[in-house]
Amino acid sequence: MSEFKLHHLIVELIELLGSSSAPEKHVERLQKEGAITNPLTLNTVATQSCVRQLITNSPNSELFIKKYEELKSKKVDLLGPFMQLLEFISVDRELKKYLAENSSLAQTTSKSTIITNEDLPKIFKNVIKAVVEGEKKLNKQTCPLNRQNDAILTKYTWSTERPRLSWDFQADSTISLAQKVVPSISQESVLLWDILQCLKGIDGFYIVSEISSFYSPVTFKISPDVGISFKQLTQQILPLASYYSTTIRFVEEKVLPDDGQVNHALRGALSSLLRDYLLFIVQLEIEHIRGKLNLQKLWFYIQPTMATMSILNQITSTICKANARGGKVLSLLHEQINHMSSEAKSKELCLFLIKAASIPYMEILEKWVYKGVICDPYHEFFVEDNELIQREELPMDYSADYWEKRYTMRTERIPVFLNEHAQTILRTGKYFNVIRQCGKTVQWGKQEPLVYQHRDQKFIFAIDRAYSEAARTLLEVLIQENDLMGRLRSVKNYFLLAQGDFVVQFMNLCEAELSKNMYDIVTHRLLSLLEVALRLSTADSDSYKDDLKPELLPYDLQYQMFRILSIQTTEEKEYCAHADKVLTGLEAFVFNYDVKWPVSLVINRKAIACYQMLFRHLFYCKHVERLLCRVWISNKIAKTFTHEAAMAYRQAFSLRQRMLDCIQHLEYYMMVEVIEPNWLTFLNKMSKVSNVDDVLSVHHDLQDSYLKECMLTDPELLACITGLCAVCIEFCEFMQHMSRYFIDAELTSMIGTCQDDILEPESECSGNSNIEGSSFEERIGFLDNQFTAVLIRLLNRICDLGCDNSNEKLLNVVCRLDFNLFYTQILVKKDSSKIVKNTSG
Amino acid sequence: MPCEMITLQLGQCGNQSKLLFLMALISLFDFSNSLSVTNPTHLLPLSVGFEFWKRLCAEHGISPEGILEDYATEGTDRKDVFFYQSDDEHYIPRAVLLDLEPRVIHTIMNSPYSKLYNPENIYLSKHGGGAGNNWASGYHQGEKLQEEIFDILDREADGSDSLEGFVLCHSIAGGTGSGMGSFMLESLADRFPKKLIETYSVFPNQDEISDVVVQPYNSLLTLKRLTQCADCVVVLDNTALNRIASDRLHIQNPSFTQINKLVSTIMSVSTTTLRYPSYMNNDLVGLIAPLIPTPRLHFLMTGYTPLTTDQEGASVRKTSVLDVMRRLLQPKNMMVSTALDRNAAHCYISILNIIQGEVDPTQVHKSLQRIRERKLAQFIPWGPASIQVALSRKSPYIQSTHRVSGLMLANHTNISSLFDRALQQYDKLRKREAFLEQFRKEKMFEDNLDELDNSREVVDYLVKEYQAATRSDYLTWSPSKAD
Repeated sequence: MSEFKLHHLIVELIELLGSSSAPEKHVERLQKEGAITNPLTLNTVATQSCVRQLITNSPNSELFIKKYEELKSKKVDLLGPFMQLLEFISVDRELKKYLAENSSLAQTTSKSTIITNEDLPKIFKNVIKAVVEGEKKLNKQTCPLNRQNDAILTKYTWSTERPRLSWDFQADSTISLAQKVVPSISQESVLLWDILQCLKGIDGFYIVSEISSFYSPVTFKISPDVGISFKQLTQQILPLASYYSTTIRFVEEKVLPDDGQVNHALRGALSSLLRDYLLFIVQLEIEHIRGKLNLQKLWFYIQPTMATMSILNQITSTICKANARGGKVLSLLHEQINHMSSEAKSKELCLFLIKAASIPYMEILEKWVYKGVICDPYHEFFVEDNELIQREELPMDYSADYWEKRYTMRTERIPVFLNEHAQTILRTGKYFNVIRQCGKTVQWGKQEPLVYQHRDQKFIFAIDRAYSEAARTLLEVLIQENDLMGRLRSVKNYFLLAQGDFVVQFMNLCEAELSKNMYDIVTHRLLSLLEVALRLSTADSDSYKDDLKPELLPYDLQYQMFRILSIQTTEEKEYCAHADKVLTGLEAFVFNYDVKWPVSLVINRKAIACYQMLFRHLFYCKHVERLLCRVWISNKIAKTFTHEAAMAYRQAFSLRQRMLDCIQHLEYYMMVEVIEPNWLTFLNKMSKVSNVDDVLSVHHDLQDSYLKECMLTDPELLACITGLCAVCIEFCEFMQHMSRYFIDAELTSMIGTCQDDILEPESECSGNSNIEGSSFEERIGFLDNQFTAVLIRLLNRICDLGCDNSNEKLLNVVCRLDFNLFYTQILVKKDSSKIVKNTSG
Repeated sequence: MPCEMITLQLGQCGNQSKLLFLMALISLFDFSNSLSVTNPTHLLPLSVGFEFWKRLCAEHGISPEGILEDYATEGTDRKDVFFYQSDDEHYIPRAVLLDLEPRVIHTIMNSPYSKLYNPENIYLSKHGGGAGNNWASGYHQGEKLQEEIFDILDREADGSDSLEGFVLCHSIAGGTGSGMGSFMLESLADRFPKKLIETYSVFPNQDEISDVVVQPYNSLLTLKRLTQCADCVVVLDNTALNRIASDRLHIQNPSFTQINKLVSTIMSVSTTTLRYPSYMNNDLVGLIAPLIPTPRLHFLMTGYTPLTTDQEGASVRKTSVLDVMRRLLQPKNMMVSTALDRNAAHCYISILNIIQGEVDPTQVHKSLQRIRERKLAQFIPWGPASIQVALSRKSPYIQSTHRVSGLMLANHTNISSLFDRALQQYDKLRKREAFLEQFRKEKMFEDNLDELDNSREVVDYLVKEYQAATRSDYLTWSPSKAD
């Protein structure tokens, strides 16, 4: 039912907007426009032109550009699509107006005002608020983390409590520049000390740090007394101190659990680098003590370190700005490497960092890929485990949700270098998890440790191998050990009535019970009858027969279908109005099927519900067929009637014949032309599947085509068929009621052979059926008209739908029902009579 | 089990067949001396029942002793429609064998194959004189024996969970099958009004002069009961069977086994959807109800294709669904010989094709469309009619060289010509008041011959109704108005 997902989203959106327009219109349009461009391709390409467009449109373009740059530097995800959305909105005048009107409303509902808004022109502010409602996910990412929260967290770390322990500069405003004047000859030595101090993160006398904001790099004030030449050289050197400061700050800050293991690992790697750096500074100091250092020399010495530290600075500042953690840190690092293609040394440095930083991530990945376990205390891994319920508690619902909801992928956490393989990784772990939950252990010949490599990513091969192993094993577990196909066959036998003799047997036994009002039915009696039926028919040889259970649903098929389509058509509203009628057991009855893990992955709650709907549809048709056959049996007595009596009944018999013909053709179509061929295609596809996701999608396709081709998805078709069944049942009840008068007819026929004054049977009937205010013949005529009208409606609808290529199969029904053009002739007659009427009237 | 059928085999038609079958099967066991099988073609119609059981046994993998063969233990077929299991796991046919003369049944009882049947169900008239080819005698004897016979039938009926109906195999020409058969039809319809009564009735060969001189009387009297008491009559016309055997199968002197094979094929295939359950047509009523729109028009023709004999196995034709369905519509494949009446526009009231083999439903649909386009079948104008198709499995134990085979059950108005012919023959005989003495001896005809006149009237009306069914005003037709 994937096509209804879109439907569902639209319905939700409309509800949020408080609109009253019909959702199906939008769905249709969306589907027609079709191929909604892949969000990934959309991401980068369009952004530039969008931004330009927005800048020209914006009344306050500078502010906008600033904000845009800020967001960009923070590496906010989905910035591209967001910009596109903004552009759409800015172009669309009406939408702008609408959003502006609604913005006041939105403000009251969402207190969480967004920082980005304040700078943006007013229109964008409104837009974002509207977007907040609809696209919460997007919102989350555009809104940078509140800094106050950060402060609260950092307050309790040693760096704030014991600021002197930090290797960074202190944001201490009490220190001021020394005003002492030193002769310019001795200035160099003092200045060198100061610089060396600064390089260790300690303020000097002539050089004092200035910390403007938390993440911005440190700047330095140099005493004005310092000579120009020294000052210039110092200013050249000092960025190193600021690089150091940024880096050490990163190292010292990223110790919180919230920062995640990747940051911690990166921090570890950085601090080992910093140790070298400090060693280097110490050596410089020794040199200085020996009096062998001057500014020029210092400048010369620090050149390589400068390059290194600038990279570290760049890395740490980007990470801090983006407030990245986990996968994103790795992404940033990876991109960093891509950007520096030339310098071998700095590249090596980056590789060192990313290798170190990726170790914890790779460990998580390893566990997931090899065992299907997530060990991710800080929520860094891109697969998220949402285990909410214990499997044992709610086995059915659990499996229904398991596949889609248990493990979800958080796209923003995927490291770029794993982007293409994310799906594979997710599946691999999922499969292993299922395998583990089935009580199997996976035998690994050799588990290759996963290590990040920039060029030829060997670990990708390892993952692929693990994936194929997982897919194969799980498929084996499902299909061989748990006999998935046998299960499906058994489900088909019961739910799709393929086990015909069982169905006949069951209906024979349960008809009396099921024709009661559904609330009067004793379910355990049904259960025992079901067991009898199972044992008496050929279903006895099915080893899964005990998993079949009876169930009564308090709503009927049409309602169920409407609910699933979630179409708010007028028909449905009308329908819901009288939906509270009490159903008979036959309408309410469905089978239920107990499925054990892991087969319940495929035959999950949703799949069962789908089978149940098909079952109800088929079961009711079968029931109508049986009723008609029963009328046939009770009518067979009419063989001995006189010819006059027989003639009177012939109209009714012919109507019964038409009903039976119609129902049997419908059944034939659904069972022989839809279910069986689709099943065979399914078997064919199943022989080729390589993993469980394929199994799921193939099974899903099967169910979709069942529902569609059995005419369940089109509300009007379904209504027609339900209508047909209703008329048939009315007719059967009437005929059964009348059958007691057959005896009279028979008697008259006996008399009739010797006497000629025959009592017309319908004259008797009419006496009794006067309660309904009509004679036997009138009543039959009425039912006849009703039946013909509904049938013709059905045929017309099928013809309409049949024009569409995808529904071609439906036309088979018309061909069979109207084989000798009987109904076509009726239509022709009707048309001509209409024309006559029109011309006369 | 639902939908059980009890088979009644009446007279030689039902029973002698068994003996002949045994002869054909077991060369060691030489019956030919004890039986005066002088002219095999005359015995042909009498061999229906046993071939039927033989075929059922083969299809279900049951040995002649009634024991399930080793290879058939895991079948998903429904043996219980026609068999039930005894305490020792033997499969016993739900069959009742009735005869008024001992010869055939005695031979059965003496043969080692008597084990298949429940000996209690083999009923032989004590006085053993037969019915002398006299309908009235057969009917009268049936009346006398009814207590004992219905003891057997009631026991069988009680032994089944939900009996669906009775299958009666008989001939309408002789004495036992027609006379006693008529009586049985009347009593069954009376005692089991809600059960279906299906008959396989063998109509006499009209191309040859019959030994039984009163055959027209017998036929007519039986036809009345078939009209009024049976729910569905599958007409097996000996004339057509012989024709098919010689024309279609190219057998110069068709032997009883070959023709019996034909008939038993029809009988078994027409029940195949009951025995090999699938989506649809799992009960008899669902199968025959759509064929019979109005209760009186319940005489069905059959056709089967491809027709082969064992010897002819070499020439296997290619069979496709369209091929099979087209051939089934050809009159020469019909197992009823009907004179083509050019004046009346005879047409199909309904058709059911039971197709066996590897069949793709889209092929079926295409074939139907082709038949519709080419107007290969004419249908009634007063209601929707089409070719219903039932796809059925084949028995896995019988190898067939053909991919697809089909049986047609059709309700065609042309069958009335058969009754018309019976009427003519009767009229010829009746005009001369010939051979009526034997009838006058029996109680029913002691006082008058009203029963004969009455029967003639019933059959006459039947013919007229069939003719009326070809017209669009059939629903408001009445013979009185028509006259």
